[in-house]
Amino acid sequence: MATNKRGVAGWLDPLHLNIERWAYVFQRVTGLAVLAYVLGHIGDTSFFVGGPFGEGPSPSSWSSDLSVTENAFGHVVLVMVVLVVVYHGINGIRLILSEYGMIFAKPSRPDYPYKAKSLRTVQKHLIWVAIIAAILAALYTGGTLFG
Amino acid sequence: MADELALRIQRFDPSMEERPHLERYAIPLKDGMTVLDALIYAKDTLDHGIAMRFSCRMASCGSCGMKINGRPRLACETQLKDLRSSTVTVQPMDNFPIVRDLVVDLESFFSKHRSVSPHLVRKGDEKEQESPTGEYLMTPQELDSLVQFTYCIKCGLCSSSCPTGSTDSLFPGPQALAQEFRYLQDPRDEAREERLDLVDTEHGVWRCHFAGTCSAVCPKGVDPALGIQLLKRHVMAARSPFRRRRERKGAKVFPNPNEDLLRKD
Ligand code: SF4
Ligand code: FES
Repeated sequence: MATNKRGVAGWLDPLHLNIERWAYVFQRVTGLAVLAYVLGHIGDTSFFVGGPFGEGPSPSSWSSDLSVTENAFGHVVLVMVVLVVVYHGINGIRLILSEYGMIFAKPSRPDYPYKAKSLRTVQKHLIWVAIIAAILAALYTGGTLFG
Repeated sequence: MADELALRIQRFDPSMEERPHLERYAIPLKDGMTVLDALIYAKDTLDHGIAMRFSCRMASCGSCGMKINGRPRLACETQLKDLRSSTVTVQPMDNFPIVRDLVVDLESFFSKHRSVSPHLVRKGDEKEQESPTGEYLMTPQELDSLVQFTYCIKCGLCSSSCPTGSTDSLFPGPQALAQEFRYLQDPRDEAREERLDLVDTEHGVWRCHFAGTCSAVCPKGVDPALGIQLLKRHVMAARSPFRRRRERKGAKVFPNPNEDLLRKD
């Protein structure tokens, strides 16, 4: 028999499905992006003390390192970082609240057409809050960096 | 609506073929036709070899779950006109091994259902469990807090749509976890600790990240995602350090963390 499991592709394909599934995909992808950023950032800030293999603090290597982001591409990367961090953070709070069962309507007798209650409550609004806040924060960052 | 439907059916015999392919059938449309009607027409008149499963034709038995235009649905409940497309593609449900064409093997699904002991467990006298001496009553509010989870017809759509299920074969899946919540929430059940231990594991309830697709595709309003989140609440309340402190102080009775579900609005 063929196993018919989609593997990681099954995580990443929200087509034809609900907005919570899209939020889940974004949460996974932004999580990886934040992880990559944090690792890069740790390497990056280590230049303040002379680089990952350097000896002692070195303000000059720190400023040369800072100059890497002082251009249009670096600014775009920073705007993207703000976008993913804000989305990931707010959606993460939504998920924590949902794990405490706090943002749902109570179970009750289902009535036709049987729309799931958990997908119609505050948790759904919080996805939009995360998206809009992320876009606004990214616009503000873009305005500050490019303005 | 056009007079004819292009029905594309995924065909696959794993014992003979390497990979699935889609076959196209022209189906004359009639008012009120469902995807199952179109499939039955194709099987009866165009190709007897199509393997599919159905029984009640009224969204009760849970046999006709499949992916219709990319979304898991019951074929007997899906009206062609609601799909707003003159081409409809049907494929077997994901996450379950394909036996042939649209038929999948649900053995793992049912064994996961059985693994959560989907029945009331009473401790103590075994005879009482087999032949009760009286009724075990519950209030209407207690019933309301779990009744939607009893509507499950075990169609498998939820578990087929779950992203965790696409990589983790040991995850019980939304159907089984929702049933676990249903019995944990039942005031007549006495297997609370065993039930919590069963789901508070590496491949248990914490593998759910609330993608909510199970609830979006459930044809019966069971809302398994809600059951799973409330199940997490049960686990967290039981494992909470506050509870342990009270336990050390000798407290014996702990309230159901989902007691607020019993309040009247
Ligand atoms: S919870 Fe809903 S989708 Fe899942 S098996 Fe039961 S009826 Fe089907
Ligand atoms: S045939 Fe029974 S649920 Fe569709």
